[in-house]
Amino acid sequence: MNRLFCIFLVLNILILPVRAQDEDPGDRPVRAPFESGIIIDNQTTVVPMARTLEYNIQHKFSPMDNGLSDLFGIYSPGANMRMHFSYVPLKNLQVGYGLSLHKMFSDFSAKYTLLEQTRNDRIPVAVGLYGNMAIDGRHKDAFGQGYDFLNRLAYFSQVIVGRKFSDRISVQANGSFTHYNATPEGYDRDRVSVGVNGRINLTFQSSILLQYDRPLFIEGLTEYREEDRQELSRPNLGIGWEIRTSSHVFHINITSTKGMIPQENAMFNTYDFTDGELMFGFSMIRLWNF
Amino acid sequence: MKRNAFFLMIMALATMGLLAFVATPQQGQKAGEPWDIPEEYKNMDNPYADDASLDRLGRGNYARHCRSCHGRNGEGDGPMAAQLNTFPGDFTDSEWQKKYNDGEIYYMSIIGRDEMPNFESTIPDKEERWAIVNHIRSLEK
Repeated sequence: MNRLFCIFLVLNILILPVRAQDEDPGDRPVRAPFESGIIIDNQTTVVPMARTLEYNIQHKFSPMDNGLSDLFGIYSPGANMRMHFSYVPLKNLQVGYGLSLHKMFSDFSAKYTLLEQTRNDRIPVAVGLYGNMAIDGRHKDAFGQGYDFLNRLAYFSQVIVGRKFSDRISVQANGSFTHYNATPEGYDRDRVSVGVNGRINLTFQSSILLQYDRPLFIEGLTEYREEDRQELSRPNLGIGWEIRTSSHVFHINITSTKGMIPQENAMFNTYDFTDGELMFGFSMIRLWNF
Repeated sequence: MKRNAFFLMIMALATMGLLAFVATPQQGQKAGEPWDIPEEYKNMDNPYADDASLDRLGRGNYARHCRSCHGRNGEGDGPMAAQLNTFPGDFTDSEWQKKYNDGEIYYMSIIGRDEMPNFESTIPDKEERWAIVNHIRSLEK
């Protein structure tokens, strides 16, 4: 785990001096590689302009494999919801706080856009860093014997590299590290994941969104023998439709995870999209500029 | 009898549909009061006038920020227009286009007043603002 933290730290130190270079006034950042800071379940490299308040309501229904009997999961109990506020106090820095229904998570997050892709390709990609700390808010009985408040904490950190290829297509790749202070028996506490996601603009106001996140098994990170270990968290496949107005962004999506915070999806996703375990969801994002 | 009732219903629906397209300004809407535009804007030059490279940007921003009230073609017939007390104007009207210069359109579009929102913080980039002005200019019929 320490080694991975070191890798993230070194990456930051290597990238920061590039950020500090004087900006060429003739080579400005590309316009809107993404319309908001969120692409289905993932973060984008985009941080809205300074002094923007973003309010996001996310909802995921149950899996749709019961078909019409529960209207593809919409009438089924067990939906998950999240409300999230974030604010941009400084250019390229966003801080946020969210509340999720599942496990009664409270999450504190920060995102910083280290590099912005420029129009003349002097900087060919955008690079963003995202991290959060989530607190499992359930009753302490849920944590078993030897309860300690620290057992509630889970962390997630991510490096995102993105490029807007044209007015129609933007693509991102990410690498993530998840750490839970405590997990149920058989589950590792550390997980590395990779992902790719992107946007295809259909019109000026709507786009198709795609995402695929894959948790990786790394021998050095596991704490269990194979026979004692729970199955690796399943990949998260998602497709969505984005609609944007002057101050709103709406997503209607189908994903193969029910988690609202990324560490839950990286560590505990049991839904397998190859078995048709997909679920409807939506996000409503409201932006205010002050 | 039943056939007549059905025919009448179709005619009523068709009439309502036609009225929805024809009646502008909406019933109960007043025409906008004259704008009080500062000299600074009246004398402002458009640095991007005739810049065709901004056409797409202008169309996109107009679609996102303006179309819901001003309508796809700028006739003041967007889906939100009916909720306004003031008719949002007809950009296709050549009289309207002659009446204002680019700086004045910039002021009305970005600074706004009353029901016309201020877009200074929503559209911070000057280039994007002027792209909208250029697009409004292109709507003249």
